[in-house]
Amino acid sequence: MEVDSFRYLSPLIKRYYQLSQIRKELPIPFAPLRKPLPQCRFGLVTSGGLYHKGHERPFDEVRERREPSWGDPSYRTLPVDMDPAEVGVSHLHINARDALADMNILLPIQRFQEIVAEGRVGSLARHAYSFMGYQGFPSDLSGWRGVHGPAVRDALLAEQVDCVLLSTA
Amino acid sequence: MPVLARIFEAAGMSTVTVTNMPFWSDRVGAPRTLAVEFPFGHILGQAHNPELQRRVILQALAVLEGSACPGAIVHFQEPWPEPLEAARRASHPETPPPIAAHMGRHIGKLLMGMRRGG
Repeated sequence: MEVDSFRYLSPLIKRYYQLSQIRKELPIPFAPLRKPLPQCRFGLVTSGGLYHKGHERPFDEVRERREPSWGDPSYRTLPVDMDPAEVGVSHLHINARDALADMNILLPIQRFQEIVAEGRVGSLARHAYSFMGYQGFPSDLSGWRGVHGPAVRDALLAEQVDCVLLSTA
Repeated sequence: MPVLARIFEAAGMSTVTVTNMPFWSDRVGAPRTLAVEFPFGHILGQAHNPELQRRVILQALAVLEGSACPGAIVHFQEPWPEPLEAARRASHPETPPPIAAHMGRHIGKLLMGMRRGG
């Protein structure tokens, strides 16, 4: 079975995406795994619009409502030992009900903690990171490329992360 | 997400992206991808179904271990365990996003421009 990328999207959006002119930058960066997974530290990054309630602001839904073709490019930091009840979701393009009930479907912190306990992977970085996947229409990724992506990269490197699992919204 | 994966990978970290849109992984050039045909907002599985979430994660780890060259896209073989209509409802917000009201006009204009541009 090959996954259909457009299964949950309208035919109009499918057509638009298929006609989008995206030039793939080659070569694709590639960092081969340097050591066995049981020795690797993992970082988790999602574009699900998660944030740590009471500690950080939600993504800027107010501006997006005012300027619908704009999406907040910033990121949020979530300690992996936080209380799951403190996870908020601010992402106007997904149904967040189930993610609020179980954050693991967007940011699998608890599943990873189990896998670490089993010894399948070495450890989990102390912080996970969340972006909000809607970056405007047409999409403008300059904030991710130029500012916020490099900032999260540096934070992951500071925690000596070897591998990153990214999950989309 | 493929853009972020590329930034992390270029700094020496090995990445795997789990997504329901492998189309973008291919277009942008994600280093490694596990594609799932799951609704938006549910990329790692159903809420309170840790077994399914775990199977997705373990396969993502296998992609990380097993990819010898950049651009691998592996397709998770389990279908979403609910009927399509229920999955579509789970996928979309109850209130359409602000751009929805403008999207048809935007896309129409953009498609016209693309056609004119050849």
